[in-house]
Amino acid sequence: MTDTFHLEFTVNGRLRVLDIAASHTLLDVLRDDIGLTGTKECCVVGECGACTVIVDGRSVNSCLMLAAEADGADVLTVEGLAPSGQLDALQQAFLDTGAAQCGFCIPGQLMSARALLQRTPHPTPEQINEALAGTLCRCAGYEQSRQAVLAAAEEVGS
Amino acid sequence: MQAFRYLRPSTVEEALALLEEHGDKARLLAGGTDLVIELRNRWRTPEVVIDLKGIEELRPSIRVEGGRLVISAATVMADLERDPVVAERFPALAEAAAVVGSVQIRNRATLVGNICNGSPAADTTPPLLVYGAEMVIASPKGRRRLSIDEFVLGPGKVALGPGEMVVAIELPMDRTIAAAYTRLTRRHGTDLASITLCCGVDASGTTRVAYGSVGPRAWLVVDDTGVLADPAASREAKAPVLAALFAKATPSKTSMRAGPEYRAAMLPVLGARALNTAIERLGRTA
Amino acid sequence: MKDQGVGARAQRIGGVGRVTGGQRYVADIPLADMLHAKLVTLDCAHARILSIDTSAAIALPGVHFVMTPDDLPKPMPRFGPEYQDRPVMADGETKYHGEAVAAVVADTKDIAEEAALLVKVEYEVLPAIHTLEEALAPGAELVQDPAIRRPGPHIASNILSEYRFGWGDVDAAAADADIVVENTYDWPSQTQFAIEPHGFIAAPDGDGIAVWSSIQHPYQLQKTVAKVLGIPMAKVRVFAPDPGGGFGGKQHTKLEPLVAFMAVRAGQPVRLILTLEEAFQAVRSTGARMRVRTGIKADGTLVFQDFVNEFLVGCYGDTGDRVSAKGSFLSAGPYRTPAVRIVSRAVLSHTTPTHPMRGFGIPQVTWARESNLDEAAIAAGVDRLEIRLKNLVKYGEEHVPGDTPADGDWAQTVRKAAEEIGWGTPVPPGRGRGIAIGLKSGPTTGLSYSTVRFLADCSAIVFSGTSDMGQGARTIYAQIVAEELGIPLDSVSVVMGDTAVVPYDQQTSASRSSVLMGNAVLNACRDIQRKLKARMADMEGIEEAAISVDRGVMRLPGGEEALPAVLKKVLGRMGGEIVGNGEARKDALPEHPLGGTALFFEFNCTAIEAEVDEETGETDILRHVTVGDVGLALNPIQVTGQDEGAAVMGVGLSLMEHLIWGDDGRTRNLGAIDYRIPTSLDLPRELHSFSVENGDGPGPYGVKGISEGSLLCTAPAVAAAVRDATGAVIRDLPLSPERVWRALQERP
Ligand code: FES
Ligand code: FES
Repeated sequence: MTDTFHLEFTVNGRLRVLDIAASHTLLDVLRDDIGLTGTKECCVVGECGACTVIVDGRSVNSCLMLAAEADGADVLTVEGLAPSGQLDALQQAFLDTGAAQCGFCIPGQLMSARALLQRTPHPTPEQINEALAGTLCRCAGYEQSRQAVLAAAEEVGS
Repeated sequence: MQAFRYLRPSTVEEALALLEEHGDKARLLAGGTDLVIELRNRWRTPEVVIDLKGIEELRPSIRVEGGRLVISAATVMADLERDPVVAERFPALAEAAAVVGSVQIRNRATLVGNICNGSPAADTTPPLLVYGAEMVIASPKGRRRLSIDEFVLGPGKVALGPGEMVVAIELPMDRTIAAAYTRLTRRHGTDLASITLCCGVDASGTTRVAYGSVGPRAWLVVDDTGVLADPAASREAKAPVLAALFAKATPSKTSMRAGPEYRAAMLPVLGARALNTAIERLGRTA
Repeated sequence: MKDQGVGARAQRIGGVGRVTGGQRYVADIPLADMLHAKLVTLDCAHARILSIDTSAAIALPGVHFVMTPDDLPKPMPRFGPEYQDRPVMADGETKYHGEAVAAVVADTKDIAEEAALLVKVEYEVLPAIHTLEEALAPGAELVQDPAIRRPGPHIASNILSEYRFGWGDVDAAAADADIVVENTYDWPSQTQFAIEPHGFIAAPDGDGIAVWSSIQHPYQLQKTVAKVLGIPMAKVRVFAPDPGGGFGGKQHTKLEPLVAFMAVRAGQPVRLILTLEEAFQAVRSTGARMRVRTGIKADGTLVFQDFVNEFLVGCYGDTGDRVSAKGSFLSAGPYRTPAVRIVSRAVLSHTTPTHPMRGFGIPQVTWARESNLDEAAIAAGVDRLEIRLKNLVKYGEEHVPGDTPADGDWAQTVRKAAEEIGWGTPVPPGRGRGIAIGLKSGPTTGLSYSTVRFLADCSAIVFSGTSDMGQGARTIYAQIVAEELGIPLDSVSVVMGDTAVVPYDQQTSASRSSVLMGNAVLNACRDIQRKLKARMADMEGIEEAAISVDRGVMRLPGGEEALPAVLKKVLGRMGGEIVGNGEARKDALPEHPLGGTALFFEFNCTAIEAEVDEETGETDILRHVTVGDVGLALNPIQVTGQDEGAAVMGVGLSLMEHLIWGDDGRTRNLGAIDYRIPTSLDLPRELHSFSVENGDGPGPYGVKGISEGSLLCTAPAVAAAVRDATGAVIRDLPLSPERVWRALQERP
């Protein structure tokens, strides 16, 4: 009986092929096996959202997904937002409004916001609050994040 | 997490064969939002984990078939939230699905998983009870249906025999039940509810109330006196009838989320609110 | 709009790393050959350890060793910020739920975790003290062995320390009061809940050791590790990557000494990254019970204030003594009260060790004082705003005799908050308003050094020992340097978090960094300016006195010159650089009850308009106004961010946060599922943050500290609004729907 799994998936546009422990979560594999440490670990029970990534277009808690479940999937992490080094509109807006304080929750917030804007390009403040409710921030009051998402939505929409 | 094997069958038959082969050493994986936590905490230590998401038949799908709404096993909460038929015919289910965890959780958590975990606080159980849902259960012997009221048994317990699995949940569409879902939490953001409650009324004047998180399982109770569903009946007239419906509640004395007195007091409050919304909704469909 | 220098809405330095995932926190640091540690803990609070069997764990392939107390020096090394009483690991007895009894070191996380489960500990569960009543009961078991306590009058009790402050004669004054109101207020124990759980790495480094920690006070860690390991401080190099939030919970040394011992034993790097549950067991904040008596004249004039404050601290001294003392010292607030009596006790228990949390004991006493003042005002029929304005000290007036007098126009702040909430205008039906004042001393002592290197190409490097845990210290220092040296912000870089390279800083706390380290950076720039002046005088053959420098510009008899041009001239073809050193200190005053006067005050007024669902007890904050006296906003975006963040944390502390202990002393709500903090759906409907800027602070250009202000008085303002809306009086927190509902039932 083997408890390893042969995983093939795409992370930030790059094909990754590796053998992993079947019991490892997507978060474990991203951080420890691939070395993409931008995705953060905090509660590992799906409450804080620090581990949020986008899998096949949907935001998910990578701490609650076995990496094996991502076999064949297309995964986007915070490192994939600015592939050419040029910040995307959301990242820039988070800087402009000052939403990133200690920054630990920011990758999760960015991925949640990104998933929201993909589905709802012009969200209302209520929709933004709903979208960000799964990513806890202890530093800021969420107000600057909300403004950032609104600003990025305008930027992209215009 | 203890090591295990991960298997991804592509048909229900394969999955059933694996279940048969590994018995209680196997665990089914749908969305994983509960299972991964159980594995990490070693509350469960299966030798094999059988992922159902590779099975074509179980792929996310909400479809109308023979006067029933069929929700496949891999359908997630986010699918329910957005489905137009669910929104129109089963709004209480959409409301319950929309408050399960965060967006990220709802993108993974399945309706079937929510029920099969047997949590007394599962948000979707009360609306499914009110709407009279049935579980479609597959086993090597074939398929059977079981009403959800007979399916949920107690904390972590459902009426699923060895070698059986749920492949779909079906909701009858031949009668109109106008229903509303509400719950009690400690904060507005995602939370496990201290009370889950759904109330449905129909044109015949029957009121169905289902409530959870205040006992070992969610209970379904029915009032056919017509008093509750009557838009003209006074608050005072309804109060005792409503209160009687909650006799089965046995809220935990040791829970951290809310004390038993408070929960008991909130049941009729929430019940009256959901009832009003349900009556309004019935008025609109009529 | 200015985009650099002082007062600019400058973008955060280090911001790009924070939005790209490039910022490395401790858990993100890769080291070659790193081993992984896992703690072994017991599922009970207080227990006697009978035996530890590590054989099964060691037998697991990939396990290097299991560290137990037997592997540590005898007697067990102990350490702590105020008392040297915290053992490196549990010494014969666990004193709180989660205290490490052993630790496994293995090749991988998985193996370490697996092996930790295989360590067999035999133990006997002992009764655990987890309330003030139990701890103070006559004959209560002593939480600490008197042998390790500092000698003193309370050594044979669970009172860690007791302070008495005050002035005037309260008993005599009581006769003059028309109205006396007395009540008891409770503040629950809570947890800092930084989103980054604590992480530690230690690695042998030549003949010394390197330690990585998400710590707020790296220089204190350096000293502690040196002492515990018995090596010179110069052989301990602490790397302090920017913490992912601190809020007080990352101030002091915790498990670093254990990890250091393990790295020494392993001869290779060892890392221990806590789970969130373990972080909850590593530190918490201090709960408190306060008995308050306020006496006023019929017109609302304060006659006396009388406090007995008891703080429930953990099983080790930690910072319990200081939090109770400093928190209580300002119990009476910013008011002109002729007679004040304050008794403050820190009380030991078998619970998680306590660090300060944002506000350092002040939110606790403020909750009690402001709530009691409201009760007195209501009893007298005096408006709740009026009673505050009437008694508030004026600029330059002392509120605590002998301490720093009021350093701001505080009435201006209060009036602004009142105006923004519409105080005095009709309240819509079903709603209520509350207003409260928070006052906190900044640091009472401090010492910060900074070095600034002005490089040949006119860029600059700042060295500062502050921890940038989100407050944006880096950006502030860069702004000061840009302003003083006349260079663009993006040519300044800031080096922090390495004790081998960056000069000493006492600590990152008490909203001190903009003031103290800010002044050190400013002084380092001034040092550079002086050196440039001297060189120019020399080169031009003029008197130094004929030259002046102001914010990046040098004035010479022949005209003005920008500093970068001056630098080029001065360095000439040889190149090189000009190095400036700066120091800022706040000296101790041994005779002062706190060891020093306040460097400045954080003053905040919060006003709330709220609505309560009378059936369920749910409170909805419709409008939340916070006004802080900030002196000057060096960076307005960051000031707003800090203020909003503190306000929302204040909402969490007021409405939903509390640690729950079982009768056995176990923490029942470890982790994020049952310890609730606000999400984006739990915010006030409207949150408005304002700053009063009169340039009257002691920091660069008149700044004061700002990072705690808006949570100091959130709770009494919210409770006051609830009472105003419903008549329900609540004296313990949090204001959960259930508690509000209960108070509504008990309404007279
Ligand atoms: S770490 Fe995944 S949700 Fe907290
Ligand atoms: S910026 Fe620190 S947790 Fe959000």
